[in-house]
Amino acid sequence: MPSRSPSRSMLRLPGFSARTIAIGYGLVSLLVLAMFAAPLWFAWHTNVEQVRTELLKSDAEHLSNLFVRQGPPALAAAIDSQVHGVNDGVRKIMLFVAPDGAKLAGNLPEWPDGVPERDGLCRVTILVNGEPRNVELVTLTLEDGYRLMVASNLDRFQELERLFVYGLLGCALAVLLIAALGGALIRRALLDRVQGISLTTASIIEGKLSHRLVEPHDGDELQQLTHTVNRMLDQIEHLVTGVQDVSNAIAHDLRTPLSELRARLEELSVARPSPDETFAEIDAAIDDVDRVMGIFNALLRLAEIDSGSRRGGFVEVDLAALGFEVTEVYGPVADLKDIMLSFNSPDELKLTGDPVLLAQAVGNMVDNALKYTPPHGTIALTARRAGIGAIELTVADTGPGIPAHERTRVIERFYRVDASRGTPGVGLGLSVVSAVARLHGGTLTLTDNTPGLRATLHLPTSN
Amino acid sequence: MKLLLVEDNERVARFVKKGLTEAGHTVDHTDNGRDGMYHAVSEPYDAIVMDRMLPGGIDGLGIIEALRQQGNRVPILILSALDGVDDRIRGLRAGGDDYLTKPFAFGELLARLDALLRRAHGGANALETVMTLGDLSVDMLAHRVTRAGRAVALQPREFKLLAYLLRHANQVVTRTMLLENVWDYHFDPQTNVIDVHISKLRQKIDAGFATPLLRTVRNAGYMLTDQP
Repeated sequence: MPSRSPSRSMLRLPGFSARTIAIGYGLVSLLVLAMFAAPLWFAWHTNVEQVRTELLKSDAEHLSNLFVRQGPPALAAAIDSQVHGVNDGVRKIMLFVAPDGAKLAGNLPEWPDGVPERDGLCRVTILVNGEPRNVELVTLTLEDGYRLMVASNLDRFQELERLFVYGLLGCALAVLLIAALGGALIRRALLDRVQGISLTTASIIEGKLSHRLVEPHDGDELQQLTHTVNRMLDQIEHLVTGVQDVSNAIAHDLRTPLSELRARLEELSVARPSPDETFAEIDAAIDDVDRVMGIFNALLRLAEIDSGSRRGGFVEVDLAALGFEVTEVYGPVADLKDIMLSFNSPDELKLTGDPVLLAQAVGNMVDNALKYTPPHGTIALTARRAGIGAIELTVADTGPGIPAHERTRVIERFYRVDASRGTPGVGLGLSVVSAVARLHGGTLTLTDNTPGLRATLHLPTSN
Repeated sequence: MKLLLVEDNERVARFVKKGLTEAGHTVDHTDNGRDGMYHAVSEPYDAIVMDRMLPGGIDGLGIIEALRQQGNRVPILILSALDGVDDRIRGLRAGGDDYLTKPFAFGELLARLDALLRRAHGGANALETVMTLGDLSVDMLAHRVTRAGRAVALQPREFKLLAYLLRHANQVVTRTMLLENVWDYHFDPQTNVIDVHISKLRQKIDAGFATPLLRTVRNAGYMLTDQP
């Protein structure tokens, strides 16, 4: 099926992007980790080494001073009190030997092998309790050939270093795992929702125009998207059903005058009446054509309004002045029918809109009221502010009104209340009003005026 | 008057040419843009009736723009099947003087063309402060109307309507022309409000006088005239 491939490629794109998000997230996390750990590691490392060496040196110096001032027994006592002859791998390693090499104090049994003869700081591996250990040590030859050794166990620090590195690696691993898991979750969530969108869209492509996307309630970007898509679908459905309605309406309402016209001409052609009668018939035929043209123009106008292209020409319009003018235009018609037509409004009601279409809308409302209001009735046109940023224009008549169940339908194209068939008009008047209201982001509502009809145009002052 | 008709639909062209000739005009007709352009620049016409969509490489608007660029100010009436407000604006911006949507009644075309011709020949006395027709006199500045010396009280819109009719005296004025010029409405108000306004005006200026000035012209519109 040719329709498959586009939907599949539509699904591949979010898959790719979810993976990219996961990889990007992982990389960024690792980078942050490295930025955090590297200086820490460096500072810790240099600091610890420096402090350790300093400590060794100062220990050795302190002990040699003790030797100089108080002699070998005092030094031996001091060393023993520090290490208690025990080497537990935590305490310092110390050793004090006599000139003959015999141990005087400390926690090593004897002077270990591999320690350089020369005094100073070095790193060597010595056997401690039969196990090789990396140590840093300071050796010092004192007066009379006594020797002193202070060492610190490097393995202890290396163990810490290892722990640090392992911790870091574990951390990185966890970050990568979380990234992968998060990416997969995001991908799944995205796919679920995008798949929902593409499934619904596919069913709409197949003609089920009433389907809508399920809108999530978490107010995120996808909700905005689905909301916009749903609004687009509303508009598409509205346009499509509009086209269908129009086709049906054309079939119904255009066929009638066209068949009348055809019958008239055919009869004329067959009967060949007197010239006077012929001319009268031709005039009537022209009227028929004009009626068809009227319907046609109204339809084109509706299509033009519905397309929204007129929004480009919006200017500031004073609805109060516009209402007054419409009242003035229709005033003589009302006088003729002995109907009281009144207009009430504040001095100024500014809004942004199309002056021609708004005049036509208000004109149509008054025109509609004039058509259905019997003599001695009243038509009240009222314009007023309705809260902040909204204007309401009402045309209330004392005609027969419209039954509640038919009110929404009269706004549809061509619909006329059955009882009114036979009154002139093509039944597009209120549809045009409704379309103009929609173009301006407003609505047309019909309510009961008890008795009569109350048509209200709600318009926002700016779009 | 010498007129040029540029229209590619043969039947419409024949119908318009016949009507215009009967109204006393001389009509040249071409059925494509290239010939239309050639005629329009090479011969002096009093007015041009121009279809908008034409074969022959250049359409009606193209011809009008080219003519206006050359400084040619001949009055042009555009005929078009495009009836959107934007189409109308584009046509007038290109340099057209009036715009008529197809299909049209011939009376409408003739009335609009007459209005264009009179305007071009200074026939419309738009700048006069007092205009008269027979025993009807209208003071444009003071908004005072008298018939046979008797003052006639008119409402502002009635006055505007009478002034427009008077400026086009002895000339057919269609309902659409009145809607567009007196009310500035570019749509069909369904109910024939114009007829009602005209009959009210007629009540005020003609009632009680032997010769009615405001006459209905069948299938076309109205005419303000003092000729029998």
